[in-house]
Amino acid sequence: MRNKTSDRKKTQGFVFFRLFLLFFLFVILVLILLGSTIGGRFGVFHQLSLEALGPAQSFFTQLSLSGARFKDKYIALWKVQEENEQLRLELDTYHALLDEYREAYSLNRYLQSELEFKKRENFPALMARVVGKDPSFWFQTLIVDRGSNDGVVVGMVARTSRGVVGQVVQVASNYSKILLANAPSSAIDAIVQKSRVRGILKGAGEEGYVLHYVLKNADVSVGDSIVTAGIGGVFPSGITLGTVSRVHSNRRGMFLEIEVKPAVDFARLESLFINLSEEQLIIDEMSRSSVSQGE
Amino acid sequence: MVTASFILLGVFLIIAETTFLQFFPHWLGRPDLVFILLVFVAYKFNWFRGLLLAFLLGWLMDVASGVFLGTYLLLSLLLFAIVKFLSQNSPVKDTACQIPLVGVSYFVVQCLFYLFFSMAQPGALPPWSWSRVLQETIILFVASLPCFVFLNWLYEKISHRHLAVRSMKRRTGNRFR
Repeated sequence: MRNKTSDRKKTQGFVFFRLFLLFFLFVILVLILLGSTIGGRFGVFHQLSLEALGPAQSFFTQLSLSGARFKDKYIALWKVQEENEQLRLELDTYHALLDEYREAYSLNRYLQSELEFKKRENFPALMARVVGKDPSFWFQTLIVDRGSNDGVVVGMVARTSRGVVGQVVQVASNYSKILLANAPSSAIDAIVQKSRVRGILKGAGEEGYVLHYVLKNADVSVGDSIVTAGIGGVFPSGITLGTVSRVHSNRRGMFLEIEVKPAVDFARLESLFINLSEEQLIIDEMSRSSVSQGE
Repeated sequence: MVTASFILLGVFLIIAETTFLQFFPHWLGRPDLVFILLVFVAYKFNWFRGLLLAFLLGWLMDVASGVFLGTYLLLSLLLFAIVKFLSQNSPVKDTACQIPLVGVSYFVVQCLFYLFFSMAQPGALPPWSWSRVLQETIILFVASLPCFVFLNWLYEKISHRHLAVRSMKRRTGNRFR
């Protein structure tokens, strides 16, 4: 019994001593820390503390960054499909708009060049839109949306800024038919611009033109420009018809075989100008021919 | 009703051939759909209605295409008459022969057309091209099969509807007698 009481006393003394020691150490630590803080110096203890804190901060920062990355990569993707579809729709809309702008731009450039041509050339030009094309291989005609109500008469010349298109052959009130210059039944007095050599330019259908009656000794080469000669009064002189694409000299005969590539792309023709200045000339010519037939 | 529908179809085909079908590339084929329609008309319609259709289609083709008026009119009337005659008085009336006849008649018509123009208006047409004519004939031959199926379906549909309306009218009339 006595032993038990003395053991308890010993234990109490030991606990008290340990508590005292702990308190003492705590007070010293506080004093040291306070002492190191005085003067605003980042001392050894601060540095040690930072060294201890740093890895923990680094760990948690990495953890939070990983979490953020995980959110960005996976959780945010939940909405991406929806957003993707919406963006695709927007892209389609913009593509359609871009196509419209491109078309408007090219149309604008084309019309600008035609307008410049109209201003440059001093003839009363009537603009006509191509509304129909001949489906057959044998004939080369176009239907345009201008007719006798607009002053169009048979025989008038159709042109674009690039060159001669053809001649009006049939006329209704609001529409006309134009025989293209590359039709085999069409023949135009032409000259080689460089050497001033004359010939007759005949249509060869989809092959373009063939320049006839040019003598073998004439100076004609590939790339030469062919223009109207201005003889006969229907076509003024100097209008572009095409360029020489092939020159062939047969052993027999006096003339060269000259193929000419048309300056006008007949397949892509959208609009053209009809030369109204020739109206009176053509009417006079027609009345003269009808009088001579009557006689 | 049937004749009027086929006239409208013919007008539509002429407009299509002279406008939006022109944008199709040539290698894909721009078959002469009016020609196929004319041959079909020769098989299915009687002389009077067929000639009326051939006349109108030829006349409209003259307006929309070509330079020499009357060419297509003459051509379509001749085509109708020859095909009609062949289909009535030869084994051609058999369905199996109808499609090949479209190709053969197209080829013959092209030859006759060129021959006629080379005599009547020398130099008015581009030079004869075998490859071109054969290519167009093959394209027309290939296109004629689905076209005939469609035209046949349309013909049957309009004819049956027309007959049904007429029989209904007749029945209604008898009921009140």
